Amino acid sequence: MKVFLSAAVSFLTAVALPGQITNERLLKADSEPQNWLTYSGSYKSWRYSALDQINRQNAANLKVAWVHQMPTSHRIEATPIVVDGVMYVSEPPSNVFALDAATGRPFWHYKRSLPAKVNVCCDAVNRGVAVLGDRVFLGTVDAHLVALDAKTGSVIWDVEVADSKTGYSITGAPLIVKDMVITGIAGGEYGIRGFLDAYDVKTGKRRWRFNTIPGPGEKGHETWGGGDAWKQGGGPTWVTGSYDPELNFVIWGVGNPSPDWNADVRPGDNLYSDSAIALDADTGALKWHFQFVPHDSNDWDAVQVPVLVDSDWQGKPRKLIYWAHRGGFYYVLDRQTGEFLLGKAFAKQTWAKSLDAKGRPERLPNSIPTEDGAYIWPGVQGATNWYSPSYSPLSGLFYLTVWENKGLYLKGEPKYTPGNRYVGSVPDIDVADDPGYGAIRALNPKTGEPVWEHKMLTKPWSGVMATAGRVLFGSNGGWLSRERESMESYFFALDSDTGKELWRINLGGTMASNPMTYMVNGKQMVAMAAGGAVFTFALP
Amino acid sequence: MKILPLIFVLMVTFSWAQKDMVNPHNSSADTAAGARIFRSHCAPCHGTKATGGTGPNLTTGVFYHGSSDAELYRNISGGIPGTAMPDQFFDGTQIWQVVSFVRSLSKGAASEIVKGSPAHGQILLGEKGCLGCHLVKGEGGSKGPDLSVIGSQRSQAYLRESIVDPGAHVAEEYWVAKILAKDGKSYTGFLMNQDSYMVQILDFSRGLTAVARSDFKDFGVDRGSVMPSYKGKLSDSELDDLVAFLASLKRVKAGVQ
Repeated sequence: MKVFLSAAVSFLTAVALPGQITNERLLKADSEPQNWLTYSGSYKSWRYSALDQINRQNAANLKVAWVHQMPTSHRIEATPIVVDGVMYVSEPPSNVFALDAATGRPFWHYKRSLPAKVNVCCDAVNRGVAVLGDRVFLGTVDAHLVALDAKTGSVIWDVEVADSKTGYSITGAPLIVKDMVITGIAGGEYGIRGFLDAYDVKTGKRRWRFNTIPGPGEKGHETWGGGDAWKQGGGPTWVTGSYDPELNFVIWGVGNPSPDWNADVRPGDNLYSDSAIALDADTGALKWHFQFVPHDSNDWDAVQVPVLVDSDWQGKPRKLIYWAHRGGFYYVLDRQTGEFLLGKAFAKQTWAKSLDAKGRPERLPNSIPTEDGAYIWPGVQGATNWYSPSYSPLSGLFYLTVWENKGLYLKGEPKYTPGNRYVGSVPDIDVADDPGYGAIRALNPKTGEPVWEHKMLTKPWSGVMATAGRVLFGSNGGWLSRERESMESYFFALDSDTGKELWRINLGGTMASNPMTYMVNGKQMVAMAAGGAVFTFALP
Repeated sequence: MKILPLIFVLMVTFSWAQKDMVNPHNSSADTAAGARIFRSHCAPCHGTKATGGTGPNLTTGVFYHGSSDAELYRNISGGIPGTAMPDQFFDGTQIWQVVSFVRSLSKGAASEIVKGSPAHGQILLGEKGCLGCHLVKGEGGSKGPDLSVIGSQRSQAYLRESIVDPGAHVAEEYWVAKILAKDGKSYTGFLMNQDSYMVQILDFSRGLTAVARSDFKDFGVDRGSVMPSYKGKLSDSELDDLVAFLASLKRVKAGVQ
């Protein structure tokens, strides 16, 4: 297998012009596992790699290969992109490094000047870039989309996506679809009106916009109570979605309605907040939606990566989506229609009595914020969040990061003023005397039943990645500990079939991104950001 | 059009901070409104009674990052860089209302009558053995909290309670971990830190010690206090004197903690 892969690497580097990412290569990203071409590794968003040089027999020997320290004071949430030996990784807030993927030595560094005040709820972060042709695409915290020359970092074009002064920002990685850059928007804590946008890769001209909060006359507008609440309705799209080239659907998660923790001003279901949406990739027209939490007042937004799998479903082949939602339920949806096929709790939850035949939750009492505070499971950070899940075709398992904890949900008086937070309250994410715990769990994706669990004292803020070496990489370096000193910072490798720990290392800093892997000079490398640095690991 | 009101707010904010302005929203209705905002937006970190949680105690009248109205406004409005204190919640009026409420919390503290004699309290601190465990400005032990600036951190009522009922509030770093290892060794000490694999303690006989969970035979954490109660061991006037001395241990200068 080693020999075969090395041969494949040489062959590919010989025929493809280095750095020239084509749509064809993006469509077949999983056939060149030496590279990592999109945020989640492929359009199916499995965050899975066919590389197996590092495997469960030898993972215990992993060593640090190189470390790239960034001059940032912000949290690194990026997944690096690797193209033919070059790593493109964003530095928060809105900078980019091009590094030699073999050594970590920089080729260039794009540094963006930002306004004195940017409106970001939870640190000025960035989750990564996208690549196509000679270009690298970056969304910025001042809500611009920028195309950089992949060879030099020079700006090719720079367009304003939205007015950052009123609370819009971009923190997510863009996704290339055909000749378009798809970008989401953040600002669900500032009363934005969310959208998903597509821009021409050549010119930066906008091709389409899908407003996640329907305006007057549009279907779904009636779910906003008839007043003006929709204008500040939230519905951000801050985590990168997936693309189904056969259906030509862009599939994306929509975030919380605004204000987060007081829903009084917005009676109704508040579409398309907390929903999965499928859009026609050419026009941005809505093909279907599935709302996980109608009329949300717990901030359980649907900012998860849609995992696209073609598989048997009750005896028939079907195009599926696996989706573990922040509210604590694991869902299977039909990718063509959005039809609800399965919903099962993967963590303790006290808000839904059940899901009906269409997947709509029946709420339990005592499951919304109150003035005196209500303890509800899952906590404010959710049973999972934006941490990437992973799917392995070898094990057939779905892996995810889980929080088992309660939150104290308070209800206050929201007041909208442009550029200020519009949240309704500040909940207690981590209840001191009952902090709960964190876990990596493997689920049978056909049933939602747990297969194994890797339990941790603290709750992780990062995702997982499975590989063909039957290894699952994960970490537990949360950034919001009650005491920063008590934060765990282990990056680890588990046997993806059993959950048995194979290897770990204390990286001593916040881990709030997702692992990825690539191959350079015949060596498989695993990359993970921790603290202010990108770490890579390889076998000696 | 949306930009104008924001610029106005920023300008007003700036000028207030510049001129060291006094809170213009200080009525009892403002204080009550501020209390409601505090409950929903501030209490998760500062505690429902503002006596501290992950965020500091706000009832003492001493604020590490500035105590003037303008400084309080600035910190609530803009957050405090390098800390967990966030920014950008509200425009002017509501922030002033929070300032009004926060001020009201320490009105009692500022005028808190010191009943006893601080000088005699200082003598008692030595006589009663407090320094065996507590540090005061470089002198004393490490088995209990550092009291060097405790007067800026806790009210007199809290201090009084801590002396007569030490178990009422025990900070996590003073919880006592008891470990029995598989090899028969036993460890007892303050729980300094822990993770999924290790427990780190200040062992009472060995000093700083880390023990792997995989070596545990038995492990427990006592959340009570190791401090003996001084209830009945001090006369009322001695208690007043001790509290008076502790209350006098103030942070010298506002600014960096």
